[in-house]
Amino acid sequence: MSAMPRRILALAALAALVFIPISLAGQSAARPDFTGVWTTYTQPGAARGGGAGGGGRGGGAPLPFTEEAQKKVASYRALIGTSGATPGGFCLGSGMPGSMLGSGGYPMEILQRPEQINITYEAHNEARRIYLGDRIVPMADRVPGRNGHSSAHWEGDTLVVETTHLIEQVDQRYAHSSQAKIVERYRLSTDSAGTKVLTAEMTLTDPVFYTKPVTDTKRWAYVPNGHLLPYECAEEGWRMHLEELEKKAAKESK
Amino acid sequence: MKQLVSLVSALALVVALGVTASAHHSAVQYDFGKSTTITGVVTKFQAINPHMRLTLRVTDEKGTRDVEIEGHSTNNMYRAGYRDGLIKVGDKVTVSVAPLRNGVEGGYMVAAVTASGTRFGVQSAAERAREREKAEGK
Repeated sequence: MSAMPRRILALAALAALVFIPISLAGQSAARPDFTGVWTTYTQPGAARGGGAGGGGRGGGAPLPFTEEAQKKVASYRALIGTSGATPGGFCLGSGMPGSMLGSGGYPMEILQRPEQINITYEAHNEARRIYLGDRIVPMADRVPGRNGHSSAHWEGDTLVVETTHLIEQVDQRYAHSSQAKIVERYRLSTDSAGTKVLTAEMTLTDPVFYTKPVTDTKRWAYVPNGHLLPYECAEEGWRMHLEELEKKAAKESK
Repeated sequence: MKQLVSLVSALALVVALGVTASAHHSAVQYDFGKSTTITGVVTKFQAINPHMRLTLRVTDEKGTRDVEIEGHSTNNMYRAGYRDGLIKVGDKVTVSVAPLRNGVEGGYMVAAVTASGTRFGVQSAAERAREREKAEGK
């Protein structure tokens, strides 16, 4: 190789060494890291649970349900009656958006990589995997579920998450059809007491269940060195099943 | 006034627990505006989710009987001081409960004092009311 091409190669390598790290640093500076454990936010001076955490699974103003949704929700509530039965009582997670809005008392954990963000809600170990960029799964390949399928992109320092492929659910406050689409906008801030706060502004659009989009806001506070606890819930049902098998076996052996 | 304070405290308790307790049962069968204690010997204890379960053999002037109690999830109680092994079969414990609305003995355990004197759980509505009254100089 002549001296000139070698010099060009050397300059190109030097340029790469200088500019690639600058480019990467620029990206990470613009994109906040949500990694960590988060609990429900309480405003400075407010009693626990009396702050601006928002969200929750029940109560609140009447929702703009369509006639079809009203019938389905009313039928479900009549079925449940005064039993107090909930999916959670049967070890079933809330599903979106209840899993997100209801998290905090049972904390949530976020692990963030550039191409994928995993969220675990401690209650029932509900998990969401949010894909970005090349990791985004084509629409036709997505599997419906109670937490749907989520993809995301960044708008400056705000993470915009879109969730589709939800199954119809009437067993949470924001009942929805399988046509529902949920958009969450996540951003970080710091309150007057210096607490790191994560805010999600949610918009649920569902032409089958709602006459107009509905919105809610949830805030979490960062838990320094926080840990999620294991949440096994189905052990009791399994133990009871084994007891039934034992009884059956004892009866058959007689 | 005392009743109002008690009611406010009870509501505060429900709000404080709301995020967690409402995550599962609606808890409609329990009266969180009231608080009582039950003392007995543990005959069965399950530190499970979504609710702890406890059976106490209670002996008093009414005789001896087993009382069924459920409570917060193990995870919530862990964050309120519970640790593995704190309650064992045969231990004498005292639990604070929100009683059943239907009058049946039992309730929803919000706190407990173990055989060793260790306390875990959250304040009952009555305890909150007493503290508030004390703070207000009553």
